[in-house]
Amino acid sequence: MKKFIINTIKFLFFASVFYVLGLFAFGYFLTPSFLKGNINYKQGGYGHLYTRLKEAKTFQDVDLLFLGSSHTYRGFDNRIFTKGGYSSFNLGSSAQTSIQTNILLKRYLDLLHPKLVVYEVYPGTFSSDGVESSLDLMSNDSMDFSDLSMALEINNLKVYNTLFYDLLREKLLTNTFVEDKNKELDTYISGGFVSKEMKYNSSPHKYKNLSRSWELKDIQFSEFEKNLEMLKKANIHFIFVYAPVTSNLYESYKNNQEFDVKMNAYAEKYHTSYINFNGKLKLNDSLHFYDAHHLNQQGVEIFNTSFIDSLKKIDLNSEFNDALDVI
Amino acid sequence: MLFNSLDFAIFLPIVFILYWLLKKQLKAQNFLIAVASYIFYGMWDWRFLFLILFSTVVDYTMGLCIEKSAEKSKKKIFLWISILVNLGFLGYFKYSNFFLENFIGAFQFFGQEVNFRGLDIVLPVGISFYTFQTLSYTIDAYRKKLKPTKDFIAFTAFVSFFPQLVAGPIERATHLLPQFYKKRKFDYSLAVDGMRQILWGLFKKVVIADNCAQFANQIFNNSGDYSGSTLVLGAVFFTFQIYGDFSGYSDIAIGTSRLFGFDLMRNFAFPYFSRDIAEFWRRWHISLSTWFRDYLYIPLGGSRGGMWMKVRNTFIIFLVSGFWHGANWTFVVWGGLNALYFLPLLLQNKNRNHIEVVAYNKNLPSLKELLSMGSTFVLTVFAWIFFRAENLGQALSYIKGIFHRSLFKIPSIIEDCEHVLLLLIFFLVIEWLGRKNQFAIAVFNAKFTRPLRWVFYSLLILIMALYMVTEETPFIYFQF
Repeated sequence: MKKFIINTIKFLFFASVFYVLGLFAFGYFLTPSFLKGNINYKQGGYGHLYTRLKEAKTFQDVDLLFLGSSHTYRGFDNRIFTKGGYSSFNLGSSAQTSIQTNILLKRYLDLLHPKLVVYEVYPGTFSSDGVESSLDLMSNDSMDFSDLSMALEINNLKVYNTLFYDLLREKLLTNTFVEDKNKELDTYISGGFVSKEMKYNSSPHKYKNLSRSWELKDIQFSEFEKNLEMLKKANIHFIFVYAPVTSNLYESYKNNQEFDVKMNAYAEKYHTSYINFNGKLKLNDSLHFYDAHHLNQQGVEIFNTSFIDSLKKIDLNSEFNDALDVI
Repeated sequence: MLFNSLDFAIFLPIVFILYWLLKKQLKAQNFLIAVASYIFYGMWDWRFLFLILFSTVVDYTMGLCIEKSAEKSKKKIFLWISILVNLGFLGYFKYSNFFLENFIGAFQFFGQEVNFRGLDIVLPVGISFYTFQTLSYTIDAYRKKLKPTKDFIAFTAFVSFFPQLVAGPIERATHLLPQFYKKRKFDYSLAVDGMRQILWGLFKKVVIADNCAQFANQIFNNSGDYSGSTLVLGAVFFTFQIYGDFSGYSDIAIGTSRLFGFDLMRNFAFPYFSRDIAEFWRRWHISLSTWFRDYLYIPLGGSRGGMWMKVRNTFIIFLVSGFWHGANWTFVVWGGLNALYFLPLLLQNKNRNHIEVVAYNKNLPSLKELLSMGSTFVLTVFAWIFFRAENLGQALSYIKGIFHRSLFKIPSIIEDCEHVLLLLIFFLVIEWLGRKNQFAIAVFNAKFTRPLRWVFYSLLILIMALYMVTEETPFIYFQF
């Protein structure tokens, strides 16, 4: 029995070392992506996160900081806000859930020191397990202890594998990666926005007649609240924005109201505003979007201009305790 | 609790250490097994523990009554009480809705309108398995093949033994129950062998079965959208899914039992290397096939009484076996189809042609063996379509979709599933190399030195980490 337990422990140690080294070998030397399995490491993947985070280190004391999913980095155009008189940085990332927002805030909030955080809230990210966005973040930012706590929180094998692989990469290799600012139809704009070449939504009826519900996850709300507490502690104002999606996509969910109620409750608790832009603006599913989730440049102009009009009502230099529910 | 879950990875070492700390106290060990088994099952749904407990009490009591009764007629009454209670539960939970629907269907066929709402019944996991196991106890007690036990704890542990409680192997009381009376001594090589078998079972489940399942589900659920060749690929994926899933479960069950000093019967013996259907059925779900042989086929007259009786009994066994899998005509057709495959061999008395493992003294099969294996595999894949389909209509339209000129096109999903095809090749090579052993990777025990074995086992773990499907997936046979 003793021999069995000792040998089992020895084997587990051997297998752990083999696993970590094997993971690195598989990830680094096996070029075909279909063989990489549960290692999902992609520097400079979809959404220019690598460039955005590199650039974030060079920005300071902005008026506005945008947080959220691809609706953020494809929906808030820094150029329009600059014209409107606001300096800004866009810290959105693909499918960003509150778990990743938490890490980004820990890493970049002090540096960017915004006057107002525009927290883009989308029920899809509140219903997500956060795997996709954590892989994106791990691959495109330097590692620290918060990556491990994020992995433990998400508890998914893909996240653990990518974490170990990323750790070894950072320790063993020099990072020579340079991300191209232009990728297919996308162009990275300084400040974090990703501009898509003008395009119209070719399937505006894609979600018509669908009837489904968001399965909102408690863990995402508790992380969301942690982020709000962090901002409050730093004396930074925030507001919640539900960016526009196509009306067909929006209406395909039966429980939008449940989400609105939750967000309004948070807005009330923190004396701020929640603006759901769906149905508020005159947007056409085909003309102002390039797909069901994302506005095209014409749509972005309409959305951002309307949002800036709302922002004008806020005094960004006021203390946190002053209510922002004026919009 | 699932074998492929974190819960089980914590549960097993705790029970294992506690169990061997009690090594000198047999009763305490049996008690621990019973408690651990009830926890294992209760984590799925504690309410159904009462069902297992009731079944245990009934069969324990009936066993003693059978032993005490002097008259055969009384013994028979007690046996029938056990059979009716066990099959009554099985019938109620598993088949009520099926029979109701079919009666209603028959009424409607004759123009009678009947309002019907299906009963809201949850099928207790593993009911088909533990019901058959306890039935083997009372039947063998009646047949005087075993002496009924007075040790209620040992009997409870036997009925609920967690490694094989929910998906077998379906043990015979004559084989497993006596093991609960014997003092168990920790056997190092048996335990190491058990660990190896658990590792291979997990590999089959989380790498082979779950990856194949993703594509099999996608193709079967949208069969109308795919070419004939993709539908064939879907059926092949299901063929490996069900094998990896079920034989993987059996390997983990047998391996886990070995850790506790128990020997369970073999359930799979490389069935896809069979040269004919008769050999396939000697190698597939052995514990169920032999159960039906011992408790149904032989009582029906078996192969005595001429060819007609043999054919009739064979068909009965296959149809009942199909129906055992689920309350759906698809399973009955699957059973019937296998009976039809079996029939020519039976009529020509060739059903025991291939007893030894294929290419026994060779590394590779001959062309004839290869062709026989290939044709048996094709027949099996075809039958699995009925097993997997939701209903007969879907099975027939799936088959119709295969026999289309798109059968000769390259499957549309081939690029998405390249990694699964490579994993299948790796899996088949290991299975082929280990086909003379109880389980495939046992072959490396004799051939490799310890450092090489550890590298190989670690490689299996690495492949699992790289390719396992990250969502926890239940075993298919839980639903039976």
